[in-house]
Amino acid sequence: MSDDGVTPEDPQRPSHVPERFERTPGRRIGDQRVKIVRRRGFRRGRGVIVATEESLESAGFGGRAISAVREIMFGKRIPTERESEERLTKITGLAIFASDNISSSAYATEETMRALALAGAAGLAFTMPLTVAIIAILAIVVTSYLQVIKAYPNGGGSYVVASRNLGMIPGLLAAAALLVDYVLTVSVSVAGGVLAITTAFPGVDPIKVWVGVGFIALLTIGNLRGIREAGVVFAGPTYFYVASMAIVLAIGFYRLITGDAPAPVPPPQAVQANEALGIFLVLRAFSSGSVGLSGTEAVANGVPAFREPSARNASIVLIAMGTLFGTLFFGISFLATRFGIQVDATETKSVVGLLTQSIVGQGALFYVVQAATAIILVLAANTSFSGFPRLASILATDRFMPRQFAQRGDRLAYSFGILVLAAVSAVLLVVYQGSVNGLIPLYTIGVFIAFTLSQAGLVRHWLRERGPGWRFSTSINALGAVVTGVVTLVVAYTKFLLGAWLVLAIVPLLIYGMWRVRRHYQMIEDELLIPRATQVHLAVRKPRLIVPIARLDRSSLNTLGLARAICADVAAVHISYDEEGAAAFRERWARVVGPDLPLEVIVSPYRALVAPLLSYLDAIDDGDQSRPVIIALAEFVPSHWWENALHNQTALRLKLALFSRKNTSVIDVPFHPEDEDAPH
Amino acid sequence: MKLTNILVPLAGTAIDPDVIEYAIALGRAHKAKITAVHVIEVKWNMPLDAVLDAELERGEEVLALAEKVAEKLGSHISTEVLQAREAAPAIVDTAVEQHSELILLGMPYRKRLGRVYVGRTVEEVYVKAPCAVLAYRQEEPK
Repeated sequence: MSDDGVTPEDPQRPSHVPERFERTPGRRIGDQRVKIVRRRGFRRGRGVIVATEESLESAGFGGRAISAVREIMFGKRIPTERESEERLTKITGLAIFASDNISSSAYATEETMRALALAGAAGLAFTMPLTVAIIAILAIVVTSYLQVIKAYPNGGGSYVVASRNLGMIPGLLAAAALLVDYVLTVSVSVAGGVLAITTAFPGVDPIKVWVGVGFIALLTIGNLRGIREAGVVFAGPTYFYVASMAIVLAIGFYRLITGDAPAPVPPPQAVQANEALGIFLVLRAFSSGSVGLSGTEAVANGVPAFREPSARNASIVLIAMGTLFGTLFFGISFLATRFGIQVDATETKSVVGLLTQSIVGQGALFYVVQAATAIILVLAANTSFSGFPRLASILATDRFMPRQFAQRGDRLAYSFGILVLAAVSAVLLVVYQGSVNGLIPLYTIGVFIAFTLSQAGLVRHWLRERGPGWRFSTSINALGAVVTGVVTLVVAYTKFLLGAWLVLAIVPLLIYGMWRVRRHYQMIEDELLIPRATQVHLAVRKPRLIVPIARLDRSSLNTLGLARAICADVAAVHISYDEEGAAAFRERWARVVGPDLPLEVIVSPYRALVAPLLSYLDAIDDGDQSRPVIIALAEFVPSHWWENALHNQTALRLKLALFSRKNTSVIDVPFHPEDEDAPH
Repeated sequence: MKLTNILVPLAGTAIDPDVIEYAIALGRAHKAKITAVHVIEVKWNMPLDAVLDAELERGEEVLALAEKVAEKLGSHISTEVLQAREAAPAIVDTAVEQHSELILLGMPYRKRLGRVYVGRTVEEVYVKAPCAVLAYRQEEPK
């Protein structure tokens, strides 16, 4: 005990105990107490030691600065135990998972009309029938996905349903199609959002690609902050869009009923009729309009993201989403056809924009609706930012994708998946120069492949389970499978030459890639598998330890000391460029270290370091690489990061060279300039 | 009275969250530092610094819960685990060492022989502490 009665540390305590015990005297004799001081960054849990947030904090100025910036951008770290608090309510869940589907109402009418306009007025007459057909399919799909939620309340994405019921390849087909679709959703939505901006402000057009990339970056940051916060941030704009569109449509219907139908605002350049009306054109318009069904599967994929009762909440959100989209889509299509809105060939004015301008004029409400449309279109991408990482994590857990996709970041978000999605969709946006019309043909096909497979998978599920009401469930899903299957064929047929071939080519490549990833992990697992617990042999042959010494200094003496402490068979190796240098080193070695430790000096007349050392190791192995070799490398750690440039990083080069050598372990022995305990 | 340091001994009873909540409410106006302390009573047949893993783990759990309560209320508290022969002197000595102006004790509602039972520790702290002591008694169960 020291003079003040405090024993800083009890030497009796086992060395693995993470606390320090400080004995403190009391005011009376016998009232001594022991203060248990936790080591920085750790605290006790039940039978374990728990790393606290403090253990993640950097001690250096640079590290602290980076942490501070990261906290401002992405927020404070969230522990795993608070995962349940990060779940979504129905209100935020609708904003997160339904923004893609609801936002489709902003361009689904336009895409249908753009194809039909090629056949002139006769073609445009099919707008409403096609709208009704698409809404009917939406109703079937929503009902089918309610069945998915019922069957897989723990999250039954198309991949899970298809792989559990139809097998690995159909499962991977659904997964690959969905992954491609999620990427396209981001690109299309952001391009659509930028189009809404260029409708209101044509001056933005030259920089529209970079505005889109900026939006992707903002979404990425928002989503890296975690799903709940993303939901809170993005909920407002979703409801803002729904409310503003509802107002415009209400005014439009009122003017129509009161006989005050407005004159349509003409686009800068209307799409010219240059095709005859035929079944192919109608089917193409139908498949283009079917883009509005995208995002329907997101709710069923993300059931675990909802608060309890998650399945019930997800079902309510799914029904609300279908109702909102159906109402908006019907209203926009109906009024656009009744008011005679034309489609802009230059893609600078959207149909929704022209419709709004016709109904309310170019006043404040027009700009409000344009802003709301732009925001909802950009935020539609948010559905992908929750869907893609979640699906990728499931695939990674099933070992079809790299493990990084399954790891959660500081905010419990699947950060790697979010970053990959952002990067790929941004590249796509740049390649297609931010054109919605260029990207749309790539879109939709993936969604319908996934729809079809999940419905077919569920038919199999109900037939196998035969629980209460299985006949009804089977017929619902069978109808869904047939309808979405037909739509898949229509979309593939009508859009193949327009760009869908690209998706149809990428999907098999992705499936092959995922299969190879799985095979790799399987191979690794087979290699690392312990066949039977009784066959475990922890004993290995005694290693030999080699210490390469460049210069005899405190750092190398520190390394030699550690080597002697952990191994009996230690030898030092010095590589000298000439005989004089070798002799001088030997003489200094004899003086400083003495004869206790064997030293081998290699003269390297070609001034190489790494290759002669590797050759020397091969030579001492003498063909027997079964005996472990440990290389202890002395490494000088400069006080400042920039001082690394002043050192030749020999240890790093040696480490890289030794990394792939069999039976060779490398020990790094860092030496800090302020290390007072090192030998002098 | 200006409060700069409040000491809150926690025994791991059901009243702990309420006591912490109350301490935060009291300390907020004064920007007082709140320290939650859990004392492990070590039996006389063992050395004072014996490694009592189970008790230590329980103590850390009690304090972790208190930290969570504080975090939910947007506050931060310090925590400390002590080992002593008896809890009361350790609490009083810690309060003296930390210059605490107030010790806020939690009292679960217990009855013995038809009377509300205060408990040995609360009683001793009340008597021996040089600073102010406030006992927060749990309301009578309905």
